[in-house]
Amino acid sequence: MIKGLIVTHGKLGEVLIEVAESILERKSGIESFNMGWNEDGSLIVKKIESYLNRNKENSVIIFTDMFGGSPTNLSLRFNSPQVEILTGINLPGILKFLTYKEKNIEFFELIKLVKNGSKEGINIISEYLGERKYVKRENQNSK
Amino acid sequence: MLKEKIKIVNKLGLHARAAAKLSHLANTFNSNIFLLYNGDRVNAKSLLGILTLAASVGNEITVETEGDDEARALQEINDLFSRKFDEEN
Repeated sequence: MIKGLIVTHGKLGEVLIEVAESILERKSGIESFNMGWNEDGSLIVKKIESYLNRNKENSVIIFTDMFGGSPTNLSLRFNSPQVEILTGINLPGILKFLTYKEKNIEFFELIKLVKNGSKEGINIISEYLGERKYVKRENQNSK
Repeated sequence: MLKEKIKIVNKLGLHARAAAKLSHLANTFNSNIFLLYNGDRVNAKSLLGILTLAASVGNEITVETEGDDEARALQEINDLFSRKFDEEN
């Protein structure tokens, strides 16, 4: 089974899970660990260690909020063929993970899908809509 | 292959929770299911795909179903739209 763990600054991970679960109207099975502002990191490392010990039979994606931040840096030591770290997670990425994780997709393929889902969720609306934006606006205004 | 235009009648259009319900329903069928809107064609089994349509209330979306359960898929999708995704009375 492929499991997800979110490690972030503050309550970001907790809230991401809460929102994703509200959208999908089901429990996600994702756990989250918060890194407190005054922590030295040893507590979060212990928590991740214990999580991975409980999930030895599973492959785990550790989602972190930002490449280069402490949650990411402290997670790096756990990288292995069964444990991958995906940085910069956002709502589209979490939704992609939750809607594809049970589709029998190979671990690394799933990670790439989630990464692309996260990236594709970032758009400049004017560029994205291009010429069509005026048509869409007219449609919206005509209602 | 079956094809039908469906009007979006729920106030918020194909927003996140509605798109989640639609993709969840689409995934229960064997048929391939696509949505066509404003020149875009997306897989109805993909939540993020549906969201990229940014389809709003009052507009029509074309649903294409193709496979052994295409008629049931189209009917149930039509019902979900008519029920306003069960989010309005």
